[in-house]
Amino acid sequence: MRKKTAATVLASTLLVMGILSGCGSKSAETTDNSGNKVTTISVWGMGEEAKSLPKMAELFEAENPNIKVEVQALPWDSAHDKLLTAVASKKGPDVVQMGTTWIPEFANAKALMDLTPYLDKYPGLKQDNFYPGSVQTGTFEGAYVGVPWYIDTRVLYYRTDLLKEVGYDQAPKTWAEMQDAAKKLADRGQGKYGFALDVKEQSLSFMLARQNGSELFDAAGKPLFNQPAFVDTVKYMNSFVENGSAPVDLGIDAIQGFRGDGVAPMFISGPWMVQLIKDQAPDIDGKWATAVLPAGKDNNFSSLGGSNMSVFQYTKNAEASLKFVEFMAKPETQLKWMELTKSLPSSKEAWNNPVLQEDANYKVFGEQLKTAIPMPSTKQFEEIAQNFLSSFEKVYRTKGADVQKEMDDFNKKAESIINK
Amino acid sequence: MKGFTSRKAPYFFIAPAIILLLVFSLLPIFVALFISFTNMDLAGLADYSNLSFIGFKNYINVLSDPVFLKAIFNTLFYVIIGVPLVIVTSLGVALLINLGTSKIFKVFRVVYYLPSVTNVVAVAVVWTYLYNPAFGLFNYILESMNLSAIPWLTDPTVAKLSLILMALWRAVGLNMIIFIAALQGIPKSYYEAAQLDGANTWQQVTKITIPMLKFAIFFVSITTMIGWLQFFEEPFIMTKGGPLDGTMSAALFIYKNGFQLSNFGYAAAGSFILFIAVIAVTLVQYRVQAKESDY
Repeated sequence: MRKKTAATVLASTLLVMGILSGCGSKSAETTDNSGNKVTTISVWGMGEEAKSLPKMAELFEAENPNIKVEVQALPWDSAHDKLLTAVASKKGPDVVQMGTTWIPEFANAKALMDLTPYLDKYPGLKQDNFYPGSVQTGTFEGAYVGVPWYIDTRVLYYRTDLLKEVGYDQAPKTWAEMQDAAKKLADRGQGKYGFALDVKEQSLSFMLARQNGSELFDAAGKPLFNQPAFVDTVKYMNSFVENGSAPVDLGIDAIQGFRGDGVAPMFISGPWMVQLIKDQAPDIDGKWATAVLPAGKDNNFSSLGGSNMSVFQYTKNAEASLKFVEFMAKPETQLKWMELTKSLPSSKEAWNNPVLQEDANYKVFGEQLKTAIPMPSTKQFEEIAQNFLSSFEKVYRTKGADVQKEMDDFNKKAESIINK
Repeated sequence: MKGFTSRKAPYFFIAPAIILLLVFSLLPIFVALFISFTNMDLAGLADYSNLSFIGFKNYINVLSDPVFLKAIFNTLFYVIIGVPLVIVTSLGVALLINLGTSKIFKVFRVVYYLPSVTNVVAVAVVWTYLYNPAFGLFNYILESMNLSAIPWLTDPTVAKLSLILMALWRAVGLNMIIFIAALQGIPKSYYEAAQLDGANTWQQVTKITIPMLKFAIFFVSITTMIGWLQFFEEPFIMTKGGPLDGTMSAALFIYKNGFQLSNFGYAAAGSFILFIAVIAVTLVQYRVQAKESDY
């Protein structure tokens, strides 16, 4: 009787352990029917575009029959949580798509493999194949941890017909023109606005501040957010809200505001919007265009973002993973990827392709990319940017807010985040 | 031999529950306590040698963080307004449904229960549309009656009430079922005796039903209060804690710091403060309940 109980306990323990270990990493070497060794790597892709990743994986498998690729698509919202778990358990993907803003955090935790020692063996990964700004996003404290995959940069989207009505045959070229055009568009009537300022967009203000001559951080890494160049940028952004040219709490998204009568006929966004507008607002075909950003006091540099491909530090299949990353970095692959997802290639060579040279929108992106700079790559930047959004919320929701005082507070907060 | 196994047998039966409780509840609490005294972040998670003990610094910082204090205030707001509303509404619905004898009331029992079994994410997304300032059904109705639109989710105080309204709608069903079950456990003879003495329906409800439901009310109030102290999904999906941190709850603050900004130590300190608050509230309620005599 006692033996039987012991046996039951043992059996159930084994069962539980079996279930638990089943959750573990699946990347392992197996043998296929013909006796060849097959390596399986798991690739984590993110967002909508990751759903097209299996198609690329098929092409890769056709070239490399002894490597099997398992793609897992994660939504952006939950990807960060999943990556935290992967770092904590030191088990996870072999190759992972990394949003450029996440690189510092995960590279600092040493979760991403430094690719420098492998560059001779995999020349396709070498930095000079890609746009320098994009390489910068994949570099952390001298380590090359993310291979540029696709890039994005922000440009101005505008309704050509509506701007023409208020006297603009071309997109606004300067900040002053932008303000003027937005005001005139807002004056069309009740419930009409000029410029859909995205108050939840982290990088927008830092990008504009650079256009206005702010360095964001000084050489010693101290924040400069209470200096005139930055404060004036915040005042400039707030001016759109104050004079009613930018909607607050309208409850409609950029495209809904853009189509039809054009509730908000200008907005700043990335390349993914081109396809979305074509799909969701076919009624305004030929009535909209993209343009490089209006110039501030210093320049019209945009921000540079996108996604890189990294090899997870704890992978057991480094060689196969590197092969896959190299495959994804090839100009031909990137052009194929662009066809599938409309994302812009990071490879310089890919940009010689006629499609990118001739299409009006892609030409604008190419032009803007020449000078685009990524956001600062420190691990605290994400937290600083989040704090900026709350400070800016206080500014635009309070009538007659003291911008200088808010920015003094924000600067202090940023200092304490950096010194933590 | 036989006596031995039969004495041991109960332990085997409760072993799975005990083991699950230890591994998934008690152990994590101690781990969180440990983490709250460290500067654990992503680097510390990847390599424990990056970890250092910083004593009570996390607790001191979190208690002086204006956002955390606002989150505590908001959470109290949710609890103080939400909990009584849930109890009164679900008790009211339960009483009315129980009084009715027609078949239609059985149908309504299901109707009221449906929100509780619907996925909270789906519900929150739909309610976000209802609350939408431009296309929302609620503002559409108000405007068609020539009333002015309400800033449902865009004013810090109104947004809190909007979230409470939705959570109330969701919570009524489950608690109503508990109350109905308790109502049906009250012996009919009490009512018959009262009717013989000439008590009307109102008197029966206040003098027999409510006192007899005391334990059910106690149970519902404790579970509801603990639930509302950990109010999370609704603000997380509908407002992300905004506008101006007006709907930020303590649980959402912990999530944001822990999983978005990777300040695990800081978040653990916040969660411990919440944990102590929940324990304290529960103990106080037990005391109050224990003082009153039982039937």
